Amino acid sequence: MLILMQTAERVYTRTWVGDLSAWVALGFLGLIGVAIIYNVFTGKIDLSGLISEPSGEASMSRFQLLVFTFVIAASLFLVIASPAPPAFPALIPNGILVLLGISSSSYLVSKGIQHSSPQGVTGLRQVTIKVASNVTTAGGPSIQCQAEVLGLSDPAVTWSIDPPTGLGTIDPNGLYTPPPAGDEEATGKVTIKVTAKEDVGVTDTETITLT
Amino acid sequence: MPFTRIIWYEVVLFLGALAAIIAYRLLTGGINTNYLLYGTQRDGSKYFSPERLQLLLFTLGTAMFYLSDVLQNRNTGQLPDVPAQTLVLLGGSHAIYLGGKAYTMLFKKIAKESNDADTHADG
Repeated sequence: MLILMQTAERVYTRTWVGDLSAWVALGFLGLIGVAIIYNVFTGKIDLSGLISEPSGEASMSRFQLLVFTFVIAASLFLVIASPAPPAFPALIPNGILVLLGISSSSYLVSKGIQHSSPQGVTGLRQVTIKVASNVTTAGGPSIQCQAEVLGLSDPAVTWSIDPPTGLGTIDPNGLYTPPPAGDEEATGKVTIKVTAKEDVGVTDTETITLT
Repeated sequence: MPFTRIIWYEVVLFLGALAAIIAYRLLTGGINTNYLLYGTQRDGSKYFSPERLQLLLFTLGTAMFYLSDVLQNRNTGQLPDVPAQTLVLLGGSHAIYLGGKAYTMLFKKIAKESNDADTHADG
């Protein structure tokens, strides 16, 4: 009789402790969930760049990975919580693993393609001066400068030279004209500068030598 | 209230709230979606990308199809499988997306460099 009573007491204690632990764990997880939702809702957990690249543009590969990850994770949660008592599924179907594999590998390959180009990585915004020659003389041939614009929607640029007077001129189309012949002091270096109209912080310079 | 029902409500409320917030932010611009359907060429210019649009449609379609399957069979305690045909379609959609991206980012570069080399050789 005594043994039976002791056994019953141990079972009761174990059940009571188990129930309490389960309730504490449930309450703790619930609080974590509330804290996450609250911080997401108030913006303390910033989701604005959830599917964005470092350049600030949204990424389709990130978006599809987000969708499939969320759907599969939510499905797993629902399947675990739905039966009474809750239980993990006996197995994860191969189709789900293949689905996640397609999604993740597509994301990785997409990033690999993207990182193969500077524009893909940083959303590069730059303008570069191209000239056929950077040496001329007073009274010599003009030099046509070309501006190669990358990452800007407006290709328009403005041209300027330094010093602004005395060592030739440059027109709005980038044509540098050296000083007229006979100007013996017209030697030295001229700095051609191009500035993107869309973003005046995007510039490039090229040096032309007057001999 | 039974312990298991509380677990059920806790999970559903958490996932539902998180999904609702993300969906709301996506629709109102709180989550940046600029240029989601646009690609970038090597010169940095943007273009509307049909391959991204088809991937978006296949992604949303497959996700909704699977989620509805889960909700109908959630009490079985097993995750439903994804049909092989769906996986093939999704794989094809991703292949088109990646192929288009590789073409605009890589193959045009190779073609341009090849043309430049030919021009220099001719010159």
